[in-house]
Amino acid sequence: MPFGPIIRAMRHNRMRFAFIILEIAITLAIVTNAVNMILDERKKMLQPSGFDDDNLVSIAYQPFAPEFKEQSYVEALVQKDMRAIHSIPGVKAVATTYFLPWQGGGSSGVWKTDRFNGKFQAQLYAARGEIFQTLGVKVTQGRAFVETDTPVDSNVPTRVTIISRALAKKLWGNANPIGHVITNGEGATPRTVIGIIDDFYNPYAWNIGEFVLFTPGRAYDTTGAVFLVRTEPGAMKSVVAQLEPRLLSVNPGRVFRIVKISDLKDQYFSGGKLVIRAMTAIIIILVFITALGIMGISSLAVAERTKQIGTRRALGATRADILKHFLLENWLVTTAGLILGVIGAYGLNVLLVSKLSDVKMQWELVAGGMVLLWINGLMSTVPAAMRATLVPPSIATRSV
Amino acid sequence: MLLYQLKIALTSLRRNPVITSLLIGGIALGICVSTTFIALRHVFEKDPLPGKSNTLFYVRLDNWDPQRAYVAEDPKSLPTMVTYRDMRELMKSNIPTRQTGTFRSRFFVHPDPKIGRPFAEDVRLVFSDFFTMFNVPFQYGGGWDKAADAKPEPVIVIDQNTNQKLFGGANSVGRTVRLEDRNYKVVGVLAPWNPPLRFYDPTQGLGPKVEPIYMPFNFTPILEIQTYGNSDGWKGNDGNGFQAFLNSDTCWLEYWVELPTPEKQQAFREYVNNYVIDQKKHGRFGRPLHTEVTSMPELTKELGVVPPQIRSLAIVSVLFLIVCSLNLIGLLLGKFIARIPEISVRRALGASRLQVFWQHIVECEVVGIAGGLIGLGISVGLLKMVAKVIPNGDVVHLDAEMIAVSIFLSLVAGLLAGIYPAWRVCSIPPAMQLKVQ
Repeated sequence: MPFGPIIRAMRHNRMRFAFIILEIAITLAIVTNAVNMILDERKKMLQPSGFDDDNLVSIAYQPFAPEFKEQSYVEALVQKDMRAIHSIPGVKAVATTYFLPWQGGGSSGVWKTDRFNGKFQAQLYAARGEIFQTLGVKVTQGRAFVETDTPVDSNVPTRVTIISRALAKKLWGNANPIGHVITNGEGATPRTVIGIIDDFYNPYAWNIGEFVLFTPGRAYDTTGAVFLVRTEPGAMKSVVAQLEPRLLSVNPGRVFRIVKISDLKDQYFSGGKLVIRAMTAIIIILVFITALGIMGISSLAVAERTKQIGTRRALGATRADILKHFLLENWLVTTAGLILGVIGAYGLNVLLVSKLSDVKMQWELVAGGMVLLWINGLMSTVPAAMRATLVPPSIATRSV
Repeated sequence: MLLYQLKIALTSLRRNPVITSLLIGGIALGICVSTTFIALRHVFEKDPLPGKSNTLFYVRLDNWDPQRAYVAEDPKSLPTMVTYRDMRELMKSNIPTRQTGTFRSRFFVHPDPKIGRPFAEDVRLVFSDFFTMFNVPFQYGGGWDKAADAKPEPVIVIDQNTNQKLFGGANSVGRTVRLEDRNYKVVGVLAPWNPPLRFYDPTQGLGPKVEPIYMPFNFTPILEIQTYGNSDGWKGNDGNGFQAFLNSDTCWLEYWVELPTPEKQQAFREYVNNYVIDQKKHGRFGRPLHTEVTSMPELTKELGVVPPQIRSLAIVSVLFLIVCSLNLIGLLLGKFIARIPEISVRRALGASRLQVFWQHIVECEVVGIAGGLIGLGISVGLLKMVAKVIPNGDVVHLDAEMIAVSIFLSLVAGLLAGIYPAWRVCSIPPAMQLKVQ
């Protein structure tokens, strides 16, 4: 099939085809970038924390009663509180810790080690009680904390730490990390690594989401405490209902704040969910609209050229020739649009990518978008092209 | 003339309701999506203090670890907040017309037992200039004075909700509120104040709202008030206790200055640099000299308070609108071309090209406006849905400016879709068509 006649025929309606080409180009640019953003957000959402997120709930208290001014009172009370929480049916484990998964931050510090060249940054959380049973992560190397790891005097720093596998890898490669020492600054107490947990991810600035040091320390003082509670699957509702009354019966001189980790996670990903929903809707509507547009243009092209089609048929063109003509015409337009669209896709990517979200356009995505729009374009031309094949040759002899 | 053209346009639109509703639907679709996301961006990116934000400056100093930048990969990065000791020293300057160091803490409010149990509430520690600098609106009373700053006097400002909770909404100026174990005198009650961003605290992103209670900053060392906001440290404190924390290199305060003239801005920048150079002699500030005195609009841009996704959605939604109107070109062409015999007759009867052109443009703009209004209506609903998904979403709404933008966009969309088809039909010679007929 020669392109010559098709292109010559198209020249009569240059502007019209220019608009369609532009429309297809912008569509490709939007679709590829939208898919790119969706994939990026999904990747963030699918990153597992490693914890039993759905069965975790945090309860924090702040005291106003005067007896809380005594550290010794608080020490005893926290133990009582933990026992009270444990006694609630459906509670699997409880710990005190300032660590709150999926809150989009936490606490961190800068550390030095015996081996690693220079300093490194990692998250740092003090915890007491069954912290790893509570989170639902296993200490896969070395040992977990025991009660004697926490010094009796709250002013004495702790000497041991349990770190994440990712951090151990970064610091010591494949060597055994147990027994190595981590310090912060001169004169500070060195902490010996006694155990490794495999799974840990908590989103944090500076890309230190997988790096953590847990220390056996107090996540409570005279200003309040935070407990992290893990429930049996399905027991969340009943446990949450009983937490506050239980602890109020231990001491009523305080107020509570209960947060489900699943809620925190939802909140943390709310922006991502908005992007995914909005972009999905935009892609679907856009492909649909572009299809409608191509259908409109091609049926207009057929309607205008009824007489010419009849003439061609009378001069010996087969129905297949007519079908081919219109499909090829569309293919040319779509291809021109897609070539322009590739430039647009990369251009829009540069415009959308900021310093913060470094999502580069992948060529597979652009290729996929092109295939999608090629198919979309051909399918949208078929109805009009089919109609064109039905034009009888006799129409050539009639006047309009 | 315009009225006549409007009449013809409406007649023509009524003639083919299917095509007309397709046209209006296309524009409505484009407008509702673009208005929603442009409005969303506008809510978070608009200037919180028009006319004033350019005179408010945020101060940062690079007191971080000599061996390692604040963001390790970016040697030009510096802490987003300042230390207590540096803020204290810098505030001795009289170059700024107003200034405040500030941070967020949390206190227990002990209401009259008849009202309810004690509750914990966010409290912002500020200097008296804070209220004037950030145009904080008052319903009753006002901020405190410099004398109350200096002493400090036990005074507080509370917001409307707290006033409702504690005093039933009455004018509570002069009455007392117990925070922890002290009584504070209410000097001011805020009018409703709900800016979309806590713009005076650039470290917190979109999440939290403005605080319900404000008290004099100088209570900080006396009551040993701890921050509930971020605090970034890179080395331990020298010694134990609160004083050691205050003297440390830990960054935990926001420090704002008001510098109305370029001369003052220049002078203050020099003052800050000289302070750091002097501190270097005392062994602090081990990194290369780097200070930033950044205006509020630049700071918002730099720290990226508004998530980049919101900006991306706005850009994509405008392109979406363009596709929607390009798409209507085909439809309009078909519609107008079908009308060629009628137009030829009108042209032969003396209608000028321009008149024919204008008539079709008017028709397209009628479609644009109709689609725009429908789209605007839908976007109100869409924004409500968006508001439910994002944190602090209740501030999301359409303001007059956005409604104007939306209507402008629908006119542009109508024009974009209609200009080529209208030009095509008006350039048809009258005689030719008559001949064929």
